Amino acid sequence: MTRDEVVEVIKRNILDNLEDLDENNIDPDKSMKDYGANSLDIIEVVSCSMRELNIKIPRTELADVKTIGQLADKFMEQIGK
Amino acid sequence: MGDALKFSLADFFFNDSKSVLEPPSDFEKWMSDPSVQVGFSFYEQKLLAAPRTTTEILSNVDGQRRRVINLMSYNYLGLSTHPEVIEAAIEGLKKYGLGASGAPLLSGTYDLHVEFARRIAEFKGKEDCILYSSGLGGNVGAIQGLMRKGDVLIMDEKCHKSLIDGGVLAGAKMLFFHHNNPQHLDELLAKNAGKRTLVVVEGVYSMDGDLAKLPEIVQVVEKYPDVEIYIDEAHSSLMFGKTGRGVAEHFDLEDKVGISFGTLSKSFGGVGGFVCSNARIIRYLKGYSSPYNFSCAPSPVIVAGLMKALEVATRDSSLRDKLWENTSYFKKQLDGMNLNLGDTESQVIPIIIGSSGEMLYEMAAAMQTAGLFLQPVDFPAVPAEARRFRISMSAQLTKEEMDEALGIIEDKVAKRMRQAGLIGK
Repeated sequence: MTRDEVVEVIKRNILDNLEDLDENNIDPDKSMKDYGANSLDIIEVVSCSMRELNIKIPRTELADVKTIGQLADKFMEQIGK
Repeated sequence: MGDALKFSLADFFFNDSKSVLEPPSDFEKWMSDPSVQVGFSFYEQKLLAAPRTTTEILSNVDGQRRRVINLMSYNYLGLSTHPEVIEAAIEGLKKYGLGASGAPLLSGTYDLHVEFARRIAEFKGKEDCILYSSGLGGNVGAIQGLMRKGDVLIMDEKCHKSLIDGGVLAGAKMLFFHHNNPQHLDELLAKNAGKRTLVVVEGVYSMDGDLAKLPEIVQVVEKYPDVEIYIDEAHSSLMFGKTGRGVAEHFDLEDKVGISFGTLSKSFGGVGGFVCSNARIIRYLKGYSSPYNFSCAPSPVIVAGLMKALEVATRDSSLRDKLWENTSYFKKQLDGMNLNLGDTESQVIPIIIGSSGEMLYEMAAAMQTAGLFLQPVDFPAVPAEARRFRISMSAQLTKEEMDEALGIIEDKVAKRMRQAGLIGK
């Protein structure tokens, strides 16, 4: 799986969980908070994406992740294992 | 699963097992890891006596019955075991029996409930009060009963789970402002201006012991017409303010807070919750708040005891004066050990250890074996880099008990942190 495909999975879950968003307008260099996500939405997006990608990263290791792209990078590390 | 200690309860929320009676397979594997079992062994340890400042527990650490100094119970004023409160509860039991045997709207409201609600409303300086059988039920029920889809709920990010659950149940739009940050609150209010909005804060934040920056928060909220403030005074009622009404009284801002919530399980020493506000909204709330109208009314035994607890705590300031005297002494000694107490301003005192879960549990076991009941608080309840112990001070602690506890903290926590270079000498 490529990084772009991982970003697409995350974007789809963002669209499923947040209102009034257009997929083309989601910038991977931004944070989910920039699109109005609260902490519960973020947990939902991250959990659903990991479930779909069949990976599991401890929540404690995701504390420093700021942007959607950084989240995809974290996921790629695990997918590569 | 790699390093089991890196995982926490935050990681097993989703369950892909085919049967709902089967926990996630990786959860089972994680729970059976010996290092994880050490952590879980601290949960549900049995107290064998009343939650006094010296009590007895059956330790899960070594299976021994042990006399311990108790810095865990939130019996802040000692009212749970106050002789007058116990006597009043016994009289209540004799007169009314064990339970209310009915939901409040139909047959669960006794003269006792009406009188206690009246006294609480009077105490809080509000028109009316609704009682709940649990504190969690009170927060869930108030938020769920007042907010609707399309409404906006803006909470401090450190608000209690019961407030969040109430918001989820209500279907309101939920936003969280950075902890105690009025500027961020202002931004969120500006973005949602014109919508029905409730701002939620806590008087004392339960994991850190700091206070809501109520003066600054009120100043921001007042810029927006019709936005109301809800304050959760679970850890501040009967303790803060000139007459013990809470943090809103402490800041002299009670008239700026539209809804005041409190628990009856902490300083009050019983169990339950209450919400005070104007009489019209309380009457409306009674019709829509499920934990009120679909739950059995609070036990009359408890309410009889609570009535006396309120009287004892408010007839003079001696209990809260003693609590603050004890808190001041204890904090000063902990500061002298160079421990990290965060931003505490209350009787809730965290000792922040850091990111090592292993060290946290080793210290907890060592303290317990030495005779101090002080439980570890781990991620996700607190940030992973700020695992901690959380002390609940009590007015009932004697100087001897405090000195014994401080000696154990110095020996089992401070000394080890100094050796590890985590705190100064």
